[in-house]
Formats: sequence, C-alpha cells, structure tokens
Amino acid sequence: MKKTVLDYTLKIRLPLTLFVIAAAFVITFYASRAERDSVGYTPDQPIAFSHKLHAGQMAIDCQYCHIGVSKGRQATIPSVNICMNCHAVARKDKPEIIKLTKYYEEGKPLPWKRIHKIPDYAYFNHSVHVNKGIDCASCHGDLKEMEKVGQVKAFTMTACLDCHRKPHENLPYLQKVNNGPENCFACHR
Amino acid sequence: MDSNSNNKKFWKSLSEYNNEPEILKNKRNEFSEGVTDDFEPSELNGISRRKFIALMGAATALTATACSDYRDKGEIVPYNKRPEEILPGTANYYASTCTGCESLCGILVKTREGRPIKIDGNPDHPVNKGKICAKGQAEVTYLYDPSRLKDPLFNKRKVSWEQINNQLISEFNKANEEGLEIALISEHIFSPTFKKLLEEFKTKYPTTREYYYSATDNGNKLNAAFKSYGNYSIPTPRYDKANLVVALDDDFLGVDGNSIENTKNYSMKRDAIDRVNFNRLYVIEGRMSLTGMMSDYRLRLRPDAQLELVWTLINELKNNGIINVPSELSSKVSDYTVTKLVSNYKINEKKLRSLLSDLSINKGKTIITAGKNLSESVHVSVNYLNELLDNTGNFDFNNFDLGSPYSSYKDFENLVSRMESEKVGVVINLDVNPVFNLPSDIGFEKGYSKVKTTVALSLENNETGEKSKYLLPINHFLESWGDYKNKTYVMSLQQPVINSLFNTRQKESIFLTWVTGEAKSYDVNSYHKYLLDNFNTTIYNNSSKKTDSNSFWYGSLHDGIVELNTKPNSKSAFNNSAISSIPNPASKSKFSVYLTEGYFLGGGKYANNGWLQETPHPVTKITWDNYVSVSPATAKQLGIEKDDLLEISVNKKKLKIAAVIQPGLADEILHIEFGNGRKVVGDVGLETGVNAFELISKNNSETNFILPNAELTKTGDTYKLASTQEHHSLDDTFVKDFHKVRKIIQEGTVNEYKKHPHFLHDEKHEIFSITDEHKYTEVKWAMAIDLNKCTSCGGCVTACNVENNIPVVGKDQVLHGREMQWMRIDRYYSGTPEDPEISNQPMLCQHCDNAPCENVCPVNATNHSPDGLNQMAYNRCVGTRYCSNNCPFKVRRFNFFNFRDHFADSYYENDLTPLGNNPEVTVRSRGVMEKCTFCIQKIMDARQVAIKEERPLNGNDVVTACQQACPAEAIVFGDSNDPESRISKYRNHNLAYHVLETLNVKPNVTYIAKLRNTHSEEV
Repeated sequence: MKKTVLDYTLKIRLPLTLFVIAAAFVITFYASRAERDSVGYTPDQPIAFSHKLHAGQMAIDCQYCHIGVSKGRQATIPSVNICMNCHAVARKDKPEIIKLTKYYEEGKPLPWKRIHKIPDYAYFNHSVHVNKGIDCASCHGDLKEMEKVGQVKAFTMTACLDCHRKPHENLPYLQKVNNGPENCFACHR
Repeated sequence: MDSNSNNKKFWKSLSEYNNEPEILKNKRNEFSEGVTDDFEPSELNGISRRKFIALMGAATALTATACSDYRDKGEIVPYNKRPEEILPGTANYYASTCTGCESLCGILVKTREGRPIKIDGNPDHPVNKGKICAKGQAEVTYLYDPSRLKDPLFNKRKVSWEQINNQLISEFNKANEEGLEIALISEHIFSPTFKKLLEEFKTKYPTTREYYYSATDNGNKLNAAFKSYGNYSIPTPRYDKANLVVALDDDFLGVDGNSIENTKNYSMKRDAIDRVNFNRLYVIEGRMSLTGMMSDYRLRLRPDAQLELVWTLINELKNNGIINVPSELSSKVSDYTVTKLVSNYKINEKKLRSLLSDLSINKGKTIITAGKNLSESVHVSVNYLNELLDNTGNFDFNNFDLGSPYSSYKDFENLVSRMESEKVGVVINLDVNPVFNLPSDIGFEKGYSKVKTTVALSLENNETGEKSKYLLPINHFLESWGDYKNKTYVMSLQQPVINSLFNTRQKESIFLTWVTGEAKSYDVNSYHKYLLDNFNTTIYNNSSKKTDSNSFWYGSLHDGIVELNTKPNSKSAFNNSAISSIPNPASKSKFSVYLTEGYFLGGGKYANNGWLQETPHPVTKITWDNYVSVSPATAKQLGIEKDDLLEISVNKKKLKIAAVIQPGLADEILHIEFGNGRKVVGDVGLETGVNAFELISKNNSETNFILPNAELTKTGDTYKLASTQEHHSLDDTFVKDFHKVRKIIQEGTVNEYKKHPHFLHDEKHEIFSITDEHKYTEVKWAMAIDLNKCTSCGGCVTACNVENNIPVVGKDQVLHGREMQWMRIDRYYSGTPEDPEISNQPMLCQHCDNAPCENVCPVNATNHSPDGLNQMAYNRCVGTRYCSNNCPFKVRRFNFFNFRDHFADSYYENDLTPLGNNPEVTVRSRGVMEKCTFCIQKIMDARQVAIKEERPLNGNDVVTACQQACPAEAIVFGDSNDPESRISKYRNHNLAYHVLETLNVKPNVTYIAKLRNTHSEEV
C-alpha cells in the first residue's frame, strides 16, 4: 500500500506535534512552578542582614524587630531606629553596619527587597494568626537557619486554604486549633 | 386593621403618580433605560481582533521569558525613625475641629501612616457628640483635591512667600501712611486667638476695617436676636425639651443652624423603641424641605406670608385668652385672623386650627422657630410669641456673643464707593468669595478692580481669587492649628494631622507675619507658639490648675475640647419696642422667588467636591445641578413641564434655569437653592447648575432671600437634570398600589400604635421554605433602621462613600443610572401631589438569608458567609450582572467603567487623591459588581481584637460607617443571635418589619415603621 502524505500527516506528524506541545506544556508548568509561586526567591538586600545570626545564634525574638506582628495586619519591617538600638554601639566597625549607620544618620529610606507578597485584593492579617499560636516558621520557613532570606512556601490561595482546611496536619504543634474560615470575606473585601 | 391605617397609596414621583408608561417600563427593567447604551466595544478602545491576537502572542512570549527568572516584587521601605505612635497598618485618631461652617463640630480624624482618611465626630464634644454632617465627612476630598492652590501667586505668577509678604507689608504700610483703608472681608471669627491676632493687626495697621459676611449667613436671625435680647447671640432651640415644635420655613434638621445638634436633640423625642415619647412637629413652609418631610403636619404657605401667620397666631391665642398681649401691641395684630389667612393664602384651615389648639395646650413646652431666610420682622415676632407662651426655657442662651452683626449690603455699597474714589488701599479676602455671592448691583467686582492691592486667601482658586493681584494659598483645616469657641461653655481645639501638602501656610500664620512686619519672621511653628501662649494665659491660668501647663495643653489637645467654667448665660428681658416697630406686612406679588441654601454645597464653597455634588438632594434626588421648583398647580397654570428651561426675571435680573415640579410646594413660589453655578472652580464643579445669587438685589426690603415681582417665561429649550429618584425602582407593574400591597413602606400613627401595638403584624402570612433552614450558630450580623428617626440628611451616604472608596461617576453617568453609592435613600410621597405626606427609607444591601443574587451568579462570586453576610468577591466577579438583575431591592452597583479614570478627564486619577482612600478596602475596577458589605473591614478589625484578647467576638464592637455617621442614631447594627443585644430588641419590636417579606428572602435589615404623631381624628 502506498503511503500518502495525508497518512503520514495523520499518523505521525500530527500526534507527534500534539505530544511535543503537551509535553512542553507539562514540563514548563512544573519546571516553572516554583518560580511562578516565587518559592526560592532570594533577592540580594541592600544590607546583608543575617537572620541566622540574629534569630538563630543570638536567639533574638522575632517580635523584638517585627513589632506589628501580634498587633495588626502587617508584621512590619523594622524601622532603622530599631536596628540602631543595638548597632549604635555593637559592631560599629563592620562594613554592613557602617552602611546601616549611614542610612540612619542621613535619614534616608532603606529600600529592602520585598520577598513575600500577596495580591492587593487579599487581606492577610498577621496578628490573628500569631495570636492563635501559629509559628512564624509555618509560613516563612526556618529563618533561624537562613543567612539570606528567601521564600520557602507558596503564598497562593491554594496554600492558604490548605492550612485553613487541614490545620491539624499543617500545624501539628498546636493542640487546640479550629479550621480557619473559608468564606470570601475572610480575606477579600 | 390595615397596616397602613389610612389606605395610603405611595408614589415616588409625579410621573409615577400619573402612571406614565415610560416609568412602568423602566421599573420592569433591571436598570433604567440607556444604562447599557454607548457601550460599543469598538468605542472603548481601538484594539481590533487581529491586534488583540497579536498582543496575546506577544504576551505569551513575554510570559515564557519571564518564567526564566523570579518576578520582582518591589521594595518595602520602613520608616527610618518610626514615630512612636505610628504602627504601620493600624489607624491613629486625632481630635480636632471642623471649620467647614459656623457649627464648628468636634471631629476625630482617622489617619493611616500619617494620612487623614476619614473624619468622624468627636464623641467627647458636648455639642455634636460624635456625629458629623455630610459636608464634614467629605472634607477629606478637599484636602487631597488636585485643584488646590499650590504656591503663592502674584498677578498669576508663582512667587516666593517671602517676596509676596514683603510686597504686602510695604503695601500695608503705604496704605497707613496715606490714610487709605485696609478692608478685611471675612466670615465671623470664632477663634479667640485669631481674634486677638486681628486686634494686633488693627493696632499695627490702624486704617483696617473689618467686614463680616457669609454666603449662608443667618443675619436676619442674628439681628432679630439683637433687637429682642440686646446681644448678637442666637439662642439654640433644645428640641429634646419641647413637646411641640413649630417650624416656620425653618429647615433646622437640614441647613438652618447646627443640624447635627438639632437632629440629635430632635430624634430623642422620636423614640419608638424604649418608650413612646413623641413630640409633634408642625412645619409651615413654602418650599419642600428636609424638615418638612419629617413633619407630622405640614402646612403650605408662601414664605412672604409668614409674618401674617405669626401675627394671626398671636391674635387668635390672645382672643382665646391663652396669652396676654399689651394693648398697644394687640391693636397691631387685631386684623389678622385665621379666616383671613385662609382666604388669602388657601392655607389648610383644619391643620391651622389644630396648631392653635396644640399651642394652647403646650404652653411652656413648645418651640417655635423661623428659618434664617425669613425677614427680621418674622424672627422678632417669633421671639415675642415664644416669650408670650413662656417657651424661652426650651432655648439655650449659651451661644457665643458675636459682638457685631454681619455687614449689610449698605456697608458693602459704602465700601465699593470708597473703592471707586480710591480711598481703599488694600482689600483682603479671608477665605470668602464676595465676587461670587454678593449681589452684582453692588458693583463689588468693578470697585475691586480699582483697588491697588487686592489679596485673596483661599484653599482653591475662586471668582474673587481670579480678580485678585495677590492669591495666597492657605492650609486645609486638617493642616492647621486653631481654637474655636461658639458656645460659652466649651472651647474646641484644632490640630494639624498632616504637614502642609503644598507650599501653603495657615491663614493665621500669614497674619502673624504681617503683624510682625518681617517677611522673614515666619516659621512653621510660629502660630502654634502664639496659640499656645494665648491658651496658657487665657485658659490655663483661669483653670483649676491641677497639672502643669504642658500636660494641660496635651491633655486638652488629646480630648479636642476644653470645658470652660463660665457662668451660664442668662436670658435678657425681651425688648418690647422691637415688636412695635415692625411695619405691617406689605401686599403680596403674584410670583416670588424664594432662595435657600443648598443642602451640600455650603453656598458654593463645596462646589468642587464630587462626593457632595453627587449626593442626591434629600427631596428631589437631583444631583450635580440646581433648578427652580414650582408647585404642580403653578406648573399646570403656566404649562411648565419637568426639565423645561425657564427664564426668571426679577429686579431686572435674568436667570435661565431648569424646572422641577415639586409636589407640596406653595403655589406661585419659585424655589431655588443657591451654591451651584461657580464659574472659577476646579473641573468637578464646572458647569454644575446656575448661580442663584445673581438674582439677589441690594435693595431687597425685608429679606434678601424672598424676591417679589418675579416673572417667568419658557425659553422653549429643555435642560436634562440628573435625578436618581426613579433609578433602582422596585417593579410594580403586576400590582396596583404596590407599595401598600408589598408593604415596602409601612406606617401608622402614635395613637393607633398605643391602642393597638401589634397593628403591623395583624395580617401576617405564614411563610415557609421548601428547603431546610441554614443554621447560624455564632455571630449573625443584622442592621435595623428606625424610620421615625431618619431625616434623610445624607450623612450615611457620604460616610459610606468615604469609608468604602466609592467613586464619583459624574452627571452624564448619573443620567444613565450608573451612580455607585451603596446606600440610597428612597423617598415616597403619599396623598395628593398638591399636599403630599412623605416617607423616607434608606435602602442598602439587605444581606438576605435566602439571597436571590447568590443563586444566579455563574462563577459563585457572591455567596453567603457563616456570619450571615452576603459577600462579594470582586476578583472573582466576571460582570454578568445577573445578580443585580435578580436583586429585588436593586442595591447592587456595577462598575461600567473604571470610574476613577473615567470621571472628568481622569480628575480623580492622580498621585494625590488616592492618598485619601481607605487602605482596608479594595479599589474596584471596571467590570465588577459591588454593594454594601456591612463594613466587613470593620467587622474584621473587631474580630482581630477579639482574637488578640482571647474572647468571643461581641456584636456591639462593630459600628458601621453609616451607623457612626447618623446624627439621629437611626441605624443600629449588631449580632442578632445575641438576645441581649440592641439589634435583637429592634428586630423583635412590634414596629419592626422587613421589606418584601413575602418573598421569603429573609432580609437582615429591619425597618422600624414610622409613626406619625397626628391627632386621632383625621385632620
């Protein structure tokens, strides 16, 4: 039987093309997933601040710097004067601290790179989570081991809902925990 | 018994009353005609299909490249040195004073990260007690208004403050040396410190002369108070003390006097919930006012006949032996009888007789007030009648004595003639606009141009600023220091809550610079220091001094007020000669123009404020314009129809203005509200209405606001007015007398209610559901609105706009029915068009348990929360508008455009205006549906606090924006699952009902039926 061009197209070329497209899509989807969700995003910061040193070795409480975390919606990035509480005297000769002091003395804003971000129309409240006893590490990873901070978990609606639906699995250290709200107004308004 | 005892038929407009087919058609439709017009996709933006696909391809390619790296998420910039009191993400509140009008209400300013975003009343203030009007709420827009003056201007060119002050100081000195007058035109000054400063200014520059005037003044009332009691202090009626209130064209719940104080006091006597203690309100008026809508008995009488009415009352009460009138006065009034009044003005005799008998019964428990636009003679006569009836105990005589009257037109005429003969060296306009609102025949504008040095201090440019050589930008009151006193017993402090946004200075510190005579002497804190010094010498040194002066000052600043230990003023004796000198009432012309202050524009001051322009008028529901109202009979007589453009001529002046046929208006009265029609104004206020001040003449005999001998002609043109009264109407083609049958408005009388408390629910149907009821186990939110208290002032509408970032859409969009306010106040007439009764009903999302909108959403963007809220997820909405179509209450609003960049050439899309947005509420964009959320952001805030304090959420912790604003406290919000809560009490009350109950949608907004305190017999 003579093979026609049409046969070739239908039997080989078309399935092959479709397969390549599908495979490319699937591979791209999974390969780029972390990047899409920003997992692993570890930007360079204007000052090489180490959480490993401060939170890990020196065991400074998170709330010493992130003062808003149990009081309101924002955890707040510490204002420069909080850094200067110690660094007005501590390690004044180190290059990074000299940089910091310069920002402080010139009164210039210190532009930290933003790592964690949720969309404008979602209203996450740190205080309700922290006051329920949820550990910072449950969302932000083990900062005590991070020399440079990066995003560890996805901050998608799926991720939020996963924990709201199965708090016992995700937060095993909490003895008493209820399911989180799943209604729209809990986050969107 | 029928729930609407007198079988009323309700209607919203005359077209509805006449069952015009167009209106019926509109009602059946989701939105009014044209709402989806001009919506050609090709007109929206010019992207063709091919281009769209190309763009999509490019976007895909871009996405692919973007995959190779992480998305940049911007920066987070913390404070360098965080101010101790500011925690990002939480609001701070500062007490201050609103100087939008002479009421000087204490306010609490909510700021976020140093930006003021909302103004509420200061609960500690003894006068306004935590409430503030629509104008005060909308002041935030003015702070961030892009049309504000940003730099000092000399001959329209930008100059430095130092240069302009140097020039001015030398001009002042020159004027003094040459003996030329320095005219200082301002409103009355209520700040003791600024007053002191102006005295210093006068000492430094002795040729200074002061002129006081205000576009919205109550000069007639003030002069009458002086004639009656010998001082320039208007007594405040205490509506909470009186059982009978008689208002003669006095809109005391609207714009006459301090409406917040009045409404608060008045509503205390309208409490149907705890105990029925109603007062009775008679309103005798020529226009249809907000107060008239609230009345138990409303009598129509042309405003120029009010003097005859008062004299009739005096005469008839004297004849009945209720009051004693000295014989020399009794002869004056003896000609005036009810019969004569009825035959001359067709006033309703039955109601008038009922008023007379009520007056006799309630001697000493009555308040009779007259509106500020009526003549001095009426006010003196009313004061006298109150004296005769021993009513003066119901008035508070503790208002601050102004010490001088408002300058009369005669004073300004003299000023102009001195200007023309070049005897005036300098004119300083202190935040006033005389070119716009003085009668043109005074010739102020012409005289002004002859003056060498003309100065205007103003927030935004205006008609006077345009004609001035020096234009000095001043601070908004949210950027200023100040102290204010309009009651003898309290001083209200003002503190800046934000630094000056532009190169502006507060007006007091400009004067301070002039007083020192050194342009360089200015310092940002100079007036602050001056104020503090004066405060310490006058207030602290006279206080009981329990703390040091610093703590006293900061304590007072924190509270926003200082209570002063002054002796309460006692009332002086009434001066009888005031009444004997009143001339007899003149004969009446056929048509009279009657001018009153518009509800939201404050005499033109607020013309550039979109929120206020778009708040529907409480009576006519018209936005963005003013108009002439005529009664249905007058309209018929002259063949006038709605939206006809008329030409009114009076005092040889002409004005073209569109017509509205207003039910309930007195015949032959042409009622116009002033404040619109500004010519030199920002983009928002341009071409909004006409300037009614143009009709006023300098030679008005009795009062400036009633202009006799008017003529009107039809121009043959029409002018489309944007009224919202028929928008979002509920469908009533199925049933005649829909509002009665469907029980949207339910009301009764006090007597009926006392006899038969259950009258509303007698014919209750058994309503059942075919599905299982959903159980709400925890908090369940609900609202109740007491229609006995609601005056439809519009405060809630504006508060909601500010709290929830609701956009301004503009007149063209309102005409299409696309207004975005989440709350509307429906106004229903009943009875005849000539003399209707009125019922108001605020309407907002009812958060129905069985919400019909939820079932039809194809993407489940609107659904129900466990605490009983009908929630709306904007980011999920695809804009099918099915929900709005299925909403029986018509409370959903659709973003047909991104209204922020759509309105007035992107007027509100700039760097400045978004600073006033509430960061806790999403700014909605084009294509999504929105509606009332019961202030979910406030609920979530309360929840956050409850979690922090490890306690269950208490329903009373949440106060919605509308509830917070309502001066009558008509709105109650809370947890209906808590049997002890106030809301449960309202929901289970005998007078409680739900709109469209029979649909079984189970609304969570309960209305308390209005009771009218009429006599049991039908009057």
